[in-house]
Amino acid sequence: MNNKARGFFAERPLPEFEVDPQVLRRRTRRDVLLFGAGAAAALAGGGFLLPQATLSRVGVRLDTNSRAKEWFLNQALRIDDDVAEALYSENRMVATYTKSQITPLKNNYNGATPDPGYISGWKLTLDGLASGLSVSLDIRNLLARFSVRDQITRLVCVEGWSAIAWWSGLRFDDLIRAYPPMSQAKWARVESSVNLDASGNPDHYFMSLDLATARHPQTLLATHLSGQPLTVDHGAPLRLLAPVKLGLKNVKAITNITYAAEEPRDYWAERGYSRYDGI
Amino acid sequence: MSCSTTPRKEAISTSTLPERPEVLVARRHHLLVRWSHWLNVPILLGLILSGISIYWSSPIYQHKPDPNTGNFDVLADIGIWICAHAPGLHHYSSPPDWVYNHLSIGPGMLAAALRLHWLCAYAFMLNGAVYVAGLIAGGGWRGLLPRRTDLRDAFRMFRYYVGFPLAKLTRRQRPHPGFNTKYNALQRAAYFSVPLTGCLSVATGWAIHKPMQFHSLAAIFGGFDAARVWHFWLMWVFVLFVVPHVILVFADGWDTFRGMITGWSARVKRSAVTANEQ
Repeated sequence: MNNKARGFFAERPLPEFEVDPQVLRRRTRRDVLLFGAGAAAALAGGGFLLPQATLSRVGVRLDTNSRAKEWFLNQALRIDDDVAEALYSENRMVATYTKSQITPLKNNYNGATPDPGYISGWKLTLDGLASGLSVSLDIRNLLARFSVRDQITRLVCVEGWSAIAWWSGLRFDDLIRAYPPMSQAKWARVESSVNLDASGNPDHYFMSLDLATARHPQTLLATHLSGQPLTVDHGAPLRLLAPVKLGLKNVKAITNITYAAEEPRDYWAERGYSRYDGI
Repeated sequence: MSCSTTPRKEAISTSTLPERPEVLVARRHHLLVRWSHWLNVPILLGLILSGISIYWSSPIYQHKPDPNTGNFDVLADIGIWICAHAPGLHHYSSPPDWVYNHLSIGPGMLAAALRLHWLCAYAFMLNGAVYVAGLIAGGGWRGLLPRRTDLRDAFRMFRYYVGFPLAKLTRRQRPHPGFNTKYNALQRAAYFSVPLTGCLSVATGWAIHKPMQFHSLAAIFGGFDAARVWHFWLMWVFVLFVVPHVILVFADGWDTFRGMITGWSARVKRSAVTANEQ
């Protein structure tokens, strides 16, 4: 390091000056009071923002206006969703892996796994099409009509775990080209009517997917896992595989796709999670 | 954490000279540094509490499920052990959830925890920018840079701190090692590493939050799963910093604490301002 550089990085003495002790006392009093007010505000703000379930643990019962609280906390989700949307590019491919890097994939059905009986009569119904018609396709139609692609990608769950798996299926984009959505459509509502809740009762699973993501070259309607037709655990006979989204968007056993101009409802967004879920 | 080698007695005697009724003070911390310092307290608390709740939904440290309980989470094992061996700490009905009941916003609250975590994470990044702005505006960044002599001086300071409680007990005088910089070597190492830890936490956070778009960032830390491990341990670096930080500020006294509130320190040597480098 030369002398000039050392001079620039060298520590400077702290600026010193003389003040009347009265001034120091007053400034100290003023700032400590401000500091105390800030600490009280932080405590109140924290109490306002923490879930009531958490506050109840420490015996605090705050009847805060939960509408304002939800609004404020949802703003953080909205900002994060906007960031995720800005990061997305249809030209950016997610990383692909080799077969030796494949890791086990668990059945993460949120409720009970459906009885496989639905598979024999399964049909995919498309609505919101440019033709104005409703189209029903069975798995044989789909596999005959569209070319099947292989893809080894990572599926990331909102819980934090992830799995690298070998998927095969048709591109969502190919389906969109074959059955064009109505011109105003910006969204797809992807749903499964065979989904069950934890006690085994029907629990419709519906999810909003922006068409930009649906058109991503790596967004598949998967029919196979590890070269074998999907098992009921993994959403036989057709599931969504959008690796640029969290796992919870990757609907298993899809029965309906409906194109819409307005953002459709979303199962997990209604349970406090974000809407866009782009990763 | 005195910055002066002069005993306090001398400072007092000088400031009470009749022709000098004023106190000599030094501007120690810039306003933005002070603001961001205190804002870090609620923000980091929110990040840690919500972070451990997020950890609950998919623990990094797992073992084969226990045949009797089905438990696989090491933090749950710790909770079970605490409830079995530490009397008076059994506040909730579920021992496996002890860690989550006491150190997070609670188990089974992933959606609420994520929302709080993103809110605090964006606040943390903004606050970090404010801190850096304050360091630049006040010139404080120079005082944080590591020096060549730091290793030796840090050892001297460490020896002083370790021997301090014994010296207090035996009422033996123990001279504080001398230095003429704003911080001693040990403080400098700590105050330099904490912003670095903040940057690494933010980087690993983005790597696991957007692992597809920031794939190459995750790759720097060894991939998605490794970045989660980094992120978890970086949290502990903050915790390990905060504990001695708070203890030492209390040990050092009012002037140091007030310095971070008012920005002024009255613990200044009356003699000429010391030259910069050793």
